[in-house]
Amino acid sequence: MRNPALLASSLLALLLALQDAPTAHAQDVGDMRVFGSMQSLFMHQYSYSEINIPEARLSLEEKESRNTFAIQQLDFFFDKPIDDAFNAFVDLEFQLNYSSEKRWGSLSIQEAWLNYSYNDAVNLKVGLLFPAFNQYNEVKNRLAVLPFIFRPMVYERLLAQRFLTEDFIPEHAYVQFSGWLPTRNLMLDYAVYVGNSEASYITSNHPDGGIDTDLNPNFEFLSGVDPTDINLKLFGARVGLRSPGERFRGGLSFTRDANNMRERFGAQKPYFSEEAIRLMPDDAKRYRFGIDLSHKHGDFLVEGEIIKVVYDLGKAERKLDLSFEQSFVYTLVGYEMHERLFSFISAQWGDYSFGLDADYFTGTAGIAWKWRDDITAKAQWVLYTERMENVVNEDGLHYGQNTRLHFFLLGLSVLL
Amino acid sequence: MRISRQILYRTMLTALFFCAPLALRAQMVVITHASVPVKSISVRELLDVYTLNQSRWDDGTRITVVDVKSGKGRDAFFEYIGMSPEEMQRIWLRKQFTGKARPPRSVGTEEEVVDLVAATEGAIGYVNERTLKSGKSVRIIARFK
Repeated sequence: MRNPALLASSLLALLLALQDAPTAHAQDVGDMRVFGSMQSLFMHQYSYSEINIPEARLSLEEKESRNTFAIQQLDFFFDKPIDDAFNAFVDLEFQLNYSSEKRWGSLSIQEAWLNYSYNDAVNLKVGLLFPAFNQYNEVKNRLAVLPFIFRPMVYERLLAQRFLTEDFIPEHAYVQFSGWLPTRNLMLDYAVYVGNSEASYITSNHPDGGIDTDLNPNFEFLSGVDPTDINLKLFGARVGLRSPGERFRGGLSFTRDANNMRERFGAQKPYFSEEAIRLMPDDAKRYRFGIDLSHKHGDFLVEGEIIKVVYDLGKAERKLDLSFEQSFVYTLVGYEMHERLFSFISAQWGDYSFGLDADYFTGTAGIAWKWRDDITAKAQWVLYTERMENVVNEDGLHYGQNTRLHFFLLGLSVLL
Repeated sequence: MRISRQILYRTMLTALFFCAPLALRAQMVVITHASVPVKSISVRELLDVYTLNQSRWDDGTRITVVDVKSGKGRDAFFEYIGMSPEEMQRIWLRKQFTGKARPPRSVGTEEEVVDLVAATEGAIGYVNERTLKSGKSVRIIARFK
């Protein structure tokens, strides 16, 4: 079905056909269960940017404010038990008032997998899946189970222009072994997985414009598939501990894949010498390390994540002392004011260095009120600041930029 | 001496006042389908089952977790395993939305719990002991108040 509008309307018709009890959380159709969630929001954004050009002794200021309504996200889940050992699961996601006619938003398959469960210690998942990485990756688009409107920055898709998700976390994998083993007082979780290279290998911008779908156009027989060899694939793992009531969760995560430097150089060329560009590999090995921790004590919740991303730039690193690293730190303190009222404050910060030197900080506070079992009202304030030094534009002009964004958000999260 | 006796009586009355509700609390039981190969269950094991982490009994049978929608028995059960119903709901929702497990089968009354557990292989539930009727094929594996 090539026409996205037809696909969307067919899906809607299917869902309407399956739905005969409007208040049910989940609808059983034979053995298949259909359920979902949506989050609508109102956002007020105030932006301030200051650009300093030392060479010209010039300072420029820019301000803007905007208000918008949106269906931030709408997800439909299909859960089908096949027998005692197998089950299949699909997550279809619509973002930002998706309309193919008006070219707004997106419709995507976020997950579609088959799981084989031998026992609780041995599970094999095959298909498009969110792999285990820190504590949020597997639930990064499950807004109904999170108190946020804006998620921690690297998981927030509305900030994709600022944070390319794949730089920090493994977006998808295709095969995952996972399970848990009992220890004396805790549960030991493990997961190991393999997946494709990052999305830019599958569809990248051609230097002359247009879209490239293969590294070597002479062998471009298929589009939309990963054209890379096995050595560039994603390999990852997580080991973690949980208390039986899940008030404590913690773990260590690791992935290894490659960054498509052909793609990245499009924007970064002004920062490097000819020699650096010559020595830089086309595919830089990338290693992500993660630590996560969450502990609920009484009515308080404390949680955090650290992500460190390190690149192997080969000869360029050894001969020219170039390095490229990214980091992200997320902390949150939450307080359950009432069993249906949760408040939180969170600080997030990080930096990246790849030619230009930049760091950023986010402070946020919010509240989530579970009005009914299936409706949660949310409010959140977000302050995002970013400092960039040594930015170079296409004409070779060096400048610094400070950006400050305020978001005031109101949201309604509904279980379908 | 008279004052001491008064104090003693008052203390006993006060103790009786506070302890009576405990004594009057209903005897609750955790029940399973008769074929489940478990004779007793600890609080830790109940937590593993009700948080949907343990999905099978030792013989490999799938566990079907049964819950009642509301009531004093429900409150007593969650107090017994040391969690609040809201906390448990969040865990169930997270498991359901990640495809890791289906939430418990929720029924309206304890009589329905008994009927469902008796009729479903691998099922587990909790009820007031008085709800149990003879002729229903269930096994009691834990008692609490």
